[in-house]
Amino acid sequence: MLGRMEAAARMWHVGMTSSLHIRVLTLIVDAICPPPRRAALCDRAVGLCVQPELLNEAMAGVAGGNDFQWCFSQVKGAIDEDVAEADIISTVEFNYSGELLATGDKGGRVVIFQHEQESKNRPHLRGEYNVYSTFQSHEPEFDYLKSLEIEEKINKIRWLPQQNAAHFLLSTNDKTIKLWKISERDKRAEGYNLKDEDGRLRDPFRISSLRVPVLMPMDLMVEASPRRIFANAHTYHINSISVNSDHETYLSADDLRINLWHLEITDRSFNIVDIKPANMEELTEVITAAECHPNQCNVFVYSSSKGTIRLCDMRAAALCDRHSKFFEEPEDPSSRSFFSEIISSISDVKFSHSGRYMMTRDYLSVKVWDLNMENRPVETYQVHEYLRSKLCSLYENDCIFDKFECCWNGSDSAIMTGSYNNFFRMFDRNTRRDITLEASRESSKPRATLKPRKVSTGGKRKKDEISVDSLDFNKKILHTAWHPKDNVIAVAATNNLYIFQDKIN
Amino acid sequence: MIMKGQKRKFPPEDVEESDRSSLTWESQRQFVFSVSLSKYQRGQELPEPSLRRSVLIANTLRQISLEASGAASVEASPGSSPSEPPAEEEESVFTGVPSARHQPAEAVINGHSALSTGPVVSSGYSSNCVTSRCPASCHSYTSNVPLSLGDEDEDWGSMTTDPDFSLSAAISSILSALDSTIDGSPQAAPRTPLRSLENLSRSPEGSAAWVKQGVRGYGGGSWEPQEECRVRDSNVEVMWSSYLSDLTVEDLFQDIDTSLLERDMGVLGLRGSGGGFPAGEDLLRYLPPFSPASHPFSLSLNQNLKCLPSFSSFSPMSSSSSSSSSLSSPPSSLFSGHNHAREGLDLEHLMEILVES
Repeated sequence: MLGRMEAAARMWHVGMTSSLHIRVLTLIVDAICPPPRRAALCDRAVGLCVQPELLNEAMAGVAGGNDFQWCFSQVKGAIDEDVAEADIISTVEFNYSGELLATGDKGGRVVIFQHEQESKNRPHLRGEYNVYSTFQSHEPEFDYLKSLEIEEKINKIRWLPQQNAAHFLLSTNDKTIKLWKISERDKRAEGYNLKDEDGRLRDPFRISSLRVPVLMPMDLMVEASPRRIFANAHTYHINSISVNSDHETYLSADDLRINLWHLEITDRSFNIVDIKPANMEELTEVITAAECHPNQCNVFVYSSSKGTIRLCDMRAAALCDRHSKFFEEPEDPSSRSFFSEIISSISDVKFSHSGRYMMTRDYLSVKVWDLNMENRPVETYQVHEYLRSKLCSLYENDCIFDKFECCWNGSDSAIMTGSYNNFFRMFDRNTRRDITLEASRESSKPRATLKPRKVSTGGKRKKDEISVDSLDFNKKILHTAWHPKDNVIAVAATNNLYIFQDKIN
Repeated sequence: MIMKGQKRKFPPEDVEESDRSSLTWESQRQFVFSVSLSKYQRGQELPEPSLRRSVLIANTLRQISLEASGAASVEASPGSSPSEPPAEEEESVFTGVPSARHQPAEAVINGHSALSTGPVVSSGYSSNCVTSRCPASCHSYTSNVPLSLGDEDEDWGSMTTDPDFSLSAAISSILSALDSTIDGSPQAAPRTPLRSLENLSRSPEGSAAWVKQGVRGYGGGSWEPQEECRVRDSNVEVMWSSYLSDLTVEDLFQDIDTSLLERDMGVLGLRGSGGGFPAGEDLLRYLPPFSPASHPFSLSLNQNLKCLPSFSSFSPMSSSSSSSSSLSSPPSSLFSGHNHAREGLDLEHLMEILVES
């Protein structure tokens, strides 16, 4: 039954005539519906055929998955071919409500976009994201002791849950983490006693009466100020930060150590994981990512360059060098190559919102793990398996070291990750369907539906397919983010930020 | 497939790993090995090398050398006659494709006799190394030499089956150097390529430059007995490092086993007690550079290789000048020969300079 449904679903694409739509829908309904109800459902489905958008919804409802269509919403960033290195986006993150979207770039700047309310006259469109605040988070530093320059590139941004009118986020470069407060000011006090409106102090002897300053409205000003600077705790490059569910602590991870911080205390942190060997000659594994559990404030995981994930419980010991759980999939001996270890290196690990699963991204695949099962993942999705035969070239041009991120959608039913040629992939965990989309200027018409892309692997290349050798490996999508509640995604393609949303009516 | 503007050096073979006995797999492995070396070297030249990348490349190198030694040891055939003339071996190496894997063993046996028979045979041995698993050859040779020196009481078999023999120590020394750089320990001196000393003994034909890697910067790792490899023959290239300035002359020569110098192939010996594990020694061996006439990639790799610290298990590679033409065939073009005869002279020349300085 699933096979028939999937076969029918595959026939579904933009460009079909409505009669075909009806036939396909009938097939689907036929596949899943017991005969007594079939006729009624078919009639209703046919009625829906009039509007393709609704068909998608019907299709989604019938097929039981999030099989809607993505369409272009916005693109941020310059268009010119010559991309300044400093403008390359290095991290993307929605806040907890999805109202704010933060990006960090290689130049150390943070740009925050805010979601505008939907306009009344176009309710079928979600609101747009517009620039809310821009500030320079990190500057390049020079380490005089080692004669090294510390890059200002923002490696990660993580939002804190909102507790008052201000927004807080953590941003980090290779060495220093900063807590930023983003607050709005839309009122100004006027009528001070001791100073004039232009700020000059008044002569106290000339003051003859007292008045109470009055708050007057002013143009909205968004201010970002650094509230805490957490520095000098990492010898190696910070690759991850993660806010704990207690909202008081957070962890930061570099290649060999993980530190636990309190948000209020900047002059010290607790080292909770240290995998640096006494003899550096024996080093064969580094930490690549770390994250706190979304619900249990004592649990965190960290991934390694050897494709393993360790889950640690901070209640067990002060130093969590000994893991509580060890996740590793046994290697498939038939697919072993010189690059097996490099491609098994995990570049990102993310807990599901529920906290029951976690997802890891290695070079060629995304794996979903059940926290209760350590010996293998419960789901594996191939992102770009066609690259497996090209690993040698990818090693030569360093692409094999690219670190792709991955993300869950709000309901944990779908996952997304990036690829090359500005492609990104989405996998529906329920229907096991996947889709490849492209973030490009060509498909950037407002509300234009994104056309699924396909990479041809065999000798014969169908129309609209792209061959593996034509892929542009300079255009890589490493950073993606999914809105925590809605079907809105943000995709960073070099210096451009694409925002896509689902088509709704 | 490749980055814009970058010319592909030579086509890599995307071959299934499972076919271990094919020559294309071996050539791919050679390619990966050389690419890894150059990558590592370039990474180290950066002011702040990425630790993850360095570790991954080092692990790949280690794995390749393990497989190389594994392949060689599997095919070891101690029964081959050591008296096989080098010329025949050379030809058999390049013509006998299916038997390429067997060459290392025979080469090793020849190498064993090289000690006693002198440079001629050793050149033949080294030419075999060209298409054979070079690290494996040296590795297997390493294990073989103790028999001749009598330093180690280990038999051939156990040595060859010890996978982490030389390369892991080499790699670990790199990592310790990396650590010293990153951690800002007193040992952390920025490692610069050995430019000045390179010019010292570099000759157009690419004759061997005998340089000894300074101790500093490489933590006191345990080093397998490497005297054997060093005794090996003049095809091995070693490099002085900039740490020389930190060492006194005594330190420099403390570990030189002058008995070895008396042989025709004086190799700067390891420090520490003879036999057994020397304390923290790094003697550099490189895949000998390509003849400068060959294509630019090999030249740059040559330069890179010279700066590479302590990968001590690379096989000696060279051939007599007469065989250089046959060496230019594509799979083996990475490895071409030195002018073998001048190496001994250069060594003495270098020794003089060192003593004077």
